[in-house]
Amino acid sequence: MAVLTTSNLTMQFGAQRALADVSIEVPSGVTGLVGANGAGKTTLMSIALGLRDQTQGAIRVLGLDPRQDGATLRAMVGYGPERNVLPEDMPAFDFVKHLAEIRGMPRNEARSRASDVLWLVGLGEERFRALGTMSTGQRQRVKLAQSIAADPSFVLLDEPTDGLDPVQRDEMLALIRQISEEFSIDVMLSSHLLEEVERVCDNIVALDAGVLVASGPLDELVGDEDGLTVELVAIDDRPDAVVQTLERLRGRGVEVELVDDTLHLRGTDRNALVDEVRDAIAASEARVRRIVNRRRTLEDLFDRNAS
Amino acid sequence: MNTAEIFDRGYRKFEGERSGVFGAVRSLAWHTMRSILGLGRKARHKIFPVIVILIAFLPAVIFIGIAALFPGNIFGDEARPEYWELAQSSGFAILLFCAMVVPEALVRDRRDGMLGLYLSTPLTKATYLGGKVLAVMATLVIVTVGPALLLLTATTLESQGPNGIFDWVKTAGQIFLAGAGISAVFAAVAFAASSLTDRRAFASVATALIFIGSPLIVGALIDGADMSQNLRVFDVISMAFEFSPRVFGDMSVDLQDISDTQVFVADGAWTALGAAVVWLRYRRLGAA
Repeated sequence: MAVLTTSNLTMQFGAQRALADVSIEVPSGVTGLVGANGAGKTTLMSIALGLRDQTQGAIRVLGLDPRQDGATLRAMVGYGPERNVLPEDMPAFDFVKHLAEIRGMPRNEARSRASDVLWLVGLGEERFRALGTMSTGQRQRVKLAQSIAADPSFVLLDEPTDGLDPVQRDEMLALIRQISEEFSIDVMLSSHLLEEVERVCDNIVALDAGVLVASGPLDELVGDEDGLTVELVAIDDRPDAVVQTLERLRGRGVEVELVDDTLHLRGTDRNALVDEVRDAIAASEARVRRIVNRRRTLEDLFDRNAS
Repeated sequence: MNTAEIFDRGYRKFEGERSGVFGAVRSLAWHTMRSILGLGRKARHKIFPVIVILIAFLPAVIFIGIAALFPGNIFGDEARPEYWELAQSSGFAILLFCAMVVPEALVRDRRDGMLGLYLSTPLTKATYLGGKVLAVMATLVIVTVGPALLLLTATTLESQGPNGIFDWVKTAGQIFLAGAGISAVFAAVAFAASSLTDRRAFASVATALIFIGSPLIVGALIDGADMSQNLRVFDVISMAFEFSPRVFGDMSVDLQDISDTQVFVADGAWTALGAAVVWLRYRRLGAA
């Protein structure tokens, strides 16, 4: 069953259209909601939680209509907001326990679950520390902990890696993956960092200024494409080597494009392309950094949409 | 022999029954009450509530203390304060409580992001506000009902209370009704002021200004400009405290020109006005 489906979902704020005719079907697993700031990611999450009413179209989350069954739905859904502002003087344990109770856990259950999830996210030793004394990374973990404390079926995480350094980001993404795989909790995370979404998600919903750019399994949207990517190194004593390589390849009838010292070669016969590249580089005495199979990235999806 | 068991701790599925919206409101109200009274918080958060509660209970405690030290009805019935007078005598404490406590209960959630989180749970804006009202009312009732109830208990134990169980229950009911009425008016006005600003200090000052300003303005219009006594209905403090004697079939000396109906309608209007301001404000607030 799809976790979330929308049909022609439109959200209008005055003259500004935040979402325009978005129709998607999000299956189980980790789904990345990607797009630049202002793409409509938070608006889609708000509508999915029943916190805003869409202007047009329909949405169903876990089979429920958020407008009609908001309270029932929100008991089954966890949410980690983008804002990093939390009650300064409240200990992390009290914060997580309180929200677990609000989401319907009996008091004793909420207490033990608060402790367990804080251990799970790596804050076991820090759980009685006031939120105001915690770092951004620790606060992000607390937000994740509160979102899963009440055993939700589905978790919406708004920019869960915002403000984290690369190491913390890796740890957070690993936690999100663990939540989905070990505890069978479906996750939708929003991010404007395409690379991290490619690393952790099973499915993608890409938005650009409220318009759906692409949606579907990550494997289908990104991955190997026909052709090669050849990164060359510009060197001072042979300044024309890169251009000569390009021209030589074109002279041989290879479909090739040069972007920032990187050649993008298209063609189905990869072995033949490798031979052509080898000969062209040898002739022009260019220096190679790496030769890899051409990959379609999320960035390509947005570039294609923009063009 | 010790039979210790080790349970597998760690994240697990929850198979039990969830408490739903009712449980969420109850949990929110309890959490807010604890926060208001400083329970589970540092000692400095407890100082103010303790002082206010002491001020509120002081007249009743003094009377009961004197009555206990000097047995017998030495002061006569006239010396004993009326139940409704106790709510009025703790007026300053109630005003302080409202000005400090309601902004704490409402403004804080908007400032520290809790409102957005609450609304991502089974709570809606209406049930969220319901939980907050419940918490503030329950806390205010401690100072509006508590002293009179203490006096009723003490006089009952001294065999000087109401005659018979029917009168006793009636008196207790009147005490609760009077306290709840005063609390409702005060809470509604304080909620309205607190909903209009995201700064707790501004909300406290605004609440105090409404409570202190309305009797000053109305007094100036009646005494200074010689206008109708009926303008007293716009004096929120007088109307709130006059609710109490009217419930007991009595009235304050300086409000004899105002009928019971006018008092009850005025209190109802102030409460409704406060509630409307809060609802309009929260209806427009974005949740996430």
